[in-house]
Amino acid sequence: MATIIIPFPFRKHTDNQREVSVTGDTLAKNLENLLALHSGLQVIHDQPGLLSIFINGKSINATTTEWKEVAVAQSDEITLIIPIAGG
Amino acid sequence: MSLFQDVDQITLPDTLWEDVVNHCKRKLAGDFLPGESEVKRAYGILAGTCKERILTVELVLPVKKNARNQEPLKTYMDTMMTEHAVASTTPLSQRGWITDPEELMGCYEQCDKQNMQIFGTYHMHIVPWKGDAIRDTPTVLDTVLGKDSNLFSFIISMIDIEKPSMKAFYEGVLEKEIPLVISHQNNASK
Repeated sequence: MATIIIPFPFRKHTDNQREVSVTGDTLAKNLENLLALHSGLQVIHDQPGLLSIFINGKSINATTTEWKEVAVAQSDEITLIIPIAGG
Repeated sequence: MSLFQDVDQITLPDTLWEDVVNHCKRKLAGDFLPGESEVKRAYGILAGTCKERILTVELVLPVKKNARNQEPLKTYMDTMMTEHAVASTTPLSQRGWITDPEELMGCYEQCDKQNMQIFGTYHMHIVPWKGDAIRDTPTVLDTVLGKDSNLFSFIISMIDIEKPSMKAFYEGVLEKEIPLVISHQNNASK
């Protein structure tokens, strides 16, 4: 199972869990399974253009649809980041 | 505590408050660090621990990079500024701040390692407005950008650089101000 690190502001949707273990061969499948476990995280999906994805610290270009097919290994750590903005 | 809306108080040690103020003053003076966005704006993260509905700030993380003009974040910020920011003679490209995702990930990792929670972000207001001489409250834009964040917006008034002040607002909402206490180390008092 891969591990998805939940960004701080969204841990309210995971009972304050820092990380969630999910299955799936691709990034899309992993995120789909994450949302199945914690539907509140749909808010991350609902912010197109803002989501950044890192696998083992390496940035994945999430601005194209190709990221969905990126392969994920069981030992991988996926980090989701939504940038914080201010005036 | 996973939701900060029920917090009763935020405590900020005076030494960390000095760090925040010094960050603001340094940016205003145009004294930039290597790799830091050369804008006279200060933006940072406050983190710490929560016990019995009191948040205690234990870490100040000044944010170096403003990703404001990096796509796709630029398009998002341009839209937000156009729709919600007050009119200004400052060019759109120089207004607003959005964290660089990689830098933010580093902040998150640092907080996780130190077993701390991120409480929110701080930024300063430096220009008085007609009818608002202090500017220590969130703007409409601050509220829009803070929506559903579960974070506090810490607004610093730097109108008088020698008399800075700061207030905390849950999700940047004016009506959700939480008492902020600047404490002396080992001797908590306002």
